[in-house]
Amino acid sequence: MKKSLLTIILIFAVMVSVFAQETSYQNVMKTEIAKLDHADSLNRFQQSANAFSRISQLNPKEWQPYYYGALAYIYQGLDGASSLEKRDEALAKAEELIKKAEVISPDNAEIIALEGFKVMAEVSADPASRGQTLSGKVMHNFSKALKIDPKNPRAAVLMAQMEFGMARFFNSGTEKACDLVKLSQRSFEAQNEETLKAALLPTWGKNLADKLSKVCQ
Amino acid sequence: MKTLLVSLTLLFVCCSVFGQTTISGKISDQKGTGIPGANVFIKGTYDGVSSDENGKFNFETAAANKQIITVQALGFKTQEIEIICSGKPLSIQISLTESIDLLTAVTISAGAMEASDVKKSVVLKPIDIVTTSGAMGDITAALLTLPGTSTVGNDGRLFVRGGDASETSIFIDGLQVGNAYGSTAANVPTRNRFSPNLFKGSFFSTGGYSVEYGQALSSALALNTLDMPLRSQGDLSIMSLGGGYTQTFVGKENAVTASANYYNLAPYQSLISQKFDWEKSPASWDTEIAMKQKWGKSGFIKAYAHTEGSSMTIWQPVPGEPGRGDRVRINNRYSYGNLSFRQTGKNDWSFYGGLAYSHNRDLINLNYEPIRQINQVGHAKVVATKDFNPQFSLKNGVEWYLKSFSEERIDDKLKRGLHDHQLNHFLETDYYFSNRLVFRGGLRSGFSTVAKHYWLDPRASLAYKLNNQGQFSIAAGKFHQLPDEKLRVLQNDLQNAEASHYIVNYFIVNNNRTLRAEAFYKTYENLATYSGTDQAPVRIAQTGSGYARGADVFYRDKKTVRNTDFWVTYSFVDSKRKYSVYESKVQPSFAPKHNGSVVLKHFVSRLKSQLGTSWSWNSGYTFNDPNLPGEMQSKTKAYSDLSISWSYLPKPNMILHLACSNVLGRNNVFGYKYASQPDETGFFERTQIGQGATRMIFAGLFITLSKDKTANQLNNL
Repeated sequence: MKKSLLTIILIFAVMVSVFAQETSYQNVMKTEIAKLDHADSLNRFQQSANAFSRISQLNPKEWQPYYYGALAYIYQGLDGASSLEKRDEALAKAEELIKKAEVISPDNAEIIALEGFKVMAEVSADPASRGQTLSGKVMHNFSKALKIDPKNPRAAVLMAQMEFGMARFFNSGTEKACDLVKLSQRSFEAQNEETLKAALLPTWGKNLADKLSKVCQ
Repeated sequence: MKTLLVSLTLLFVCCSVFGQTTISGKISDQKGTGIPGANVFIKGTYDGVSSDENGKFNFETAAANKQIITVQALGFKTQEIEIICSGKPLSIQISLTESIDLLTAVTISAGAMEASDVKKSVVLKPIDIVTTSGAMGDITAALLTLPGTSTVGNDGRLFVRGGDASETSIFIDGLQVGNAYGSTAANVPTRNRFSPNLFKGSFFSTGGYSVEYGQALSSALALNTLDMPLRSQGDLSIMSLGGGYTQTFVGKENAVTASANYYNLAPYQSLISQKFDWEKSPASWDTEIAMKQKWGKSGFIKAYAHTEGSSMTIWQPVPGEPGRGDRVRINNRYSYGNLSFRQTGKNDWSFYGGLAYSHNRDLINLNYEPIRQINQVGHAKVVATKDFNPQFSLKNGVEWYLKSFSEERIDDKLKRGLHDHQLNHFLETDYYFSNRLVFRGGLRSGFSTVAKHYWLDPRASLAYKLNNQGQFSIAAGKFHQLPDEKLRVLQNDLQNAEASHYIVNYFIVNNNRTLRAEAFYKTYENLATYSGTDQAPVRIAQTGSGYARGADVFYRDKKTVRNTDFWVTYSFVDSKRKYSVYESKVQPSFAPKHNGSVVLKHFVSRLKSQLGTSWSWNSGYTFNDPNLPGEMQSKTKAYSDLSISWSYLPKPNMILHLACSNVLGRNNVFGYKYASQPDETGFFERTQIGQGATRMIFAGLFITLSKDKTANQLNNL
C-alpha cells in the first residue's frame, strides 16, 4: 500500500513538474496579458514591459512576448503627461520590439496593425509637426493589415479613429469611419475571446470600438 | 493516511520554504539616485520584478545555488552580477552606468542646422521648406530664412556669412551637385533646380562642418533623398507658371518615381507688368526619374537622373547709352545623375558612397555673339564607418573629383578648357565621453592635378549638454577651395583659397520651442583678385584676404500661440575682403550688416487652411560709386519683403495654393550699375539693379491620384 502510494505520488510529482514546464510560458503569458489589460499607469505599463522582456529572453522564438512588450511601450508613449522625449524613447523601444516580432512572424496582420498604432502614438505626441508627414504611414499600415486579415478588429477600429479625425477636419460625413467601427464590432463579437486568450492572441480594442460606436448613433 | 497527508504537506511547506530566496535591494545611477522601472531578474528564469519609484525592488525566486541577476533600464548599460541563492534573504545594491543613447545624447550643433523628421536637434522639418511663405517651393529661398544667410535679391543663391555664393557646396545623398542653380543672366535671380519634395531632410551648415565636405569655404548643404515612398500614386500640378505630372510605383523591395514638368512665364508676364525687358520670357522643361531598391535587411541603393532645358532672352539697359541696351540670350541644357548606396556590414561596420555626374551647357548670346560654356563635375566617394563601441566611432573616406570647364567663342572657333582631377581622403572620429560630452576631430587631405597642389584641412568640434537640455558647441577648422573654373581656365596654376572658422554655439529645444545662438569669426587668405570686369578678368592673382565676424540668433515657437508656428532670425555680419575686382578690403555687396526674417504659419481648421507670411529684411547692400572717392563706399536703402500665402485643402487629395511676394509693393534696390566711361561733365551715369517685377503672384492646384484617398500633396506645396 505504502509503496503503491509512493509510486502514485512520485508519478504525480513528475507529471506536475512536466505539466508545469510545458505550460509555464502559457501561464506566465496569460497572467501578464491580463495584467496589461488592466494596467492604468506608467508604472504598471513599465512593469508589464519588463515582464514581457523577461519572458522573451526565455522564449526568443515566440512573437507574442515582443508584441505585448511593444504594446506596453506604446501605451507609455500615449501618456500625455510625459515629455516628448520620454514618449519618443518609449516608442523607439516599441519599434525595436515590433521589428523583432516581425522577423519571427512576417506578414502578421496583428503586428502590422500594432506598427500603425505605434506611428499613431508618434503623431499624437507632436501632432503639429508630425500629422502631415506621418498620417499617411498610419493609414498605410492599417490598410495593409486589413488586406491580410479583412476582419482584424484592431486595425479596423484604429483606422476608424483616424477616419473620424479626418472627417472632423474636412467637415465631411462619418460614414466610412462608422462602417469601420461596425466591422470592428462585428469581428469582436464573432470571435471567441477564450480561444484567442488560450492561444495568447490579442483581444484588446473592444472598449474603443464600443466608445466610437456611440458617436455613430 | 492522515500521517501521509501531514508529511506530504510538511514536505511541500519545507521545500517551498527551503527553495525560495528573497532578493531585495536598490537600483541606482552613479550618483546614487534610484532608477524607477528597471527590470531586475534571474537570468534564465521568469523570476523578476520592476524597481519602484525609488529604485527599490523585492522578489522571490525558487532558483538555487549560483545564479546571475540581470538589471536592465532604459538609458543605462545592462549589468549582470552573480549571486548564490541559499534560501537566506539577499540584499543587493546595484549602480548602473549610463549608456550612450544617440537619441538623447548631445549632438554637435556648431554651424549646423538640420531639417529632419527623425532627429532631435533640428531647426526645421522637411515640410517647412515647402510651406514657408515667400519660398515658392525653392529650397534655397526657404534656407534664406535661417541664421547666417543673406538674401541677395538679384542673385537668388545662398550667401553665407560674408562668403559669396560659390563658397557653398551642395550635395545630394552625399555626392556633389555641379550647377545646382538654373543658368540665368546677370542680376536676374535664379532658383535651385531640385524640387524640395525629393528630399526627406537636409543638413545645412554655415561653418565648422565635418571633414566629409570639402571644396567649400563657407558652407555645405547636404540634401538627402526620400527612401521608400508609401504607395503608388500620381501627382498632378497645374500652376500659373506651368504644370507637371509625377507617377510613383511602389513594389515590395523597390520603387520608381518619374516626373515631367513644363514652365513658361510668358502668359503670366503678359498679364502682370514686368520691370525687366524680356524679349522671350523664361521657359523650361525638366524630367527626372528616381529609383530605390532595398538591399538586404538594412541596405539601400538609389539611382536618380534629372535632365532639363531652359531658355530666355532679356534686354538689359546700359547706363549712359540710349536704347534697350545689351541683348542677352541664354539657352541651357543640364543633366545630373546620381547612384548611391548604403549598407551595414558585420561587426558594426557600415558603408556608403556612390557616383555622381553633372553636365551643364550654356549657350550665351551677348549681343548676338555666341559663346558656349560647358561645366562638368564628377564625384565618386566611398566611406566606411566602424563603431568600435557606443562611445567611439571612426569614419574613413576616399573621394575623387573631376572638374572640367570649357568655353568657346563659336564664331571665331576660339576655345579653351580645363580638366582637373582631385583626390581626397578624410578620416574623422566621434568620441562620446558621456551622454553630455562629445568630441569630433578630423583631417581632410586633397590633391589637384591642375593646380599641382596638396592641402590639409584639420577640423575639430566639441559639444557639451547642460542640465536644462541646452547645449554648447564649439568648432574650429581649416577649409580650402580652388577658385572658380572661369578663372582657373585663364590661369591654370591658381591654388586654393583658405578659410579658418571659429564658432561658438548655444542650442536648446524644449517643449516645441527652439533657441539657437551662435557667434563666429572667419578669416580668408589667398583669395583670387583681378582687374577688369567679372566677365573679362585680367591680371589674376591670389593676393586677396578678408574676414567675417558676427553673431546670429534663431528662435522658433510652436507652443505659445495655438495652431501657430513662427520663427524669428537675426544675423549680424561684419565682413571685409579684398577679392575679385576690389582693390582694398571692403564690405562686399552681398554681405549686408544686419539681416532678419520672421516666418509665421497659422492653421485655421475651420477654413481647412494654412495661412503663412514671411518677412525678410536687411540693412542694405554696399556698392561702388565711381563719382565718389574710395571703393564700395555707398549703400542702398534697406531691403524689405513681406510675402503671404494661403494653402487650402478642400479635399484630402487636393490642395490649392496662392502666394504673393512683396505685398507692400516696396521698390527694393540691390545695387547700381555704372557707366564704364564718364559723360562730358565727368559724371558716371547709373542704372538701378532692382526687382524683375514689384510682386510675384503664384497660384497652383495640386491633385494626388491614388487608391488611398487620404494621400495628399501637402509635401508638394
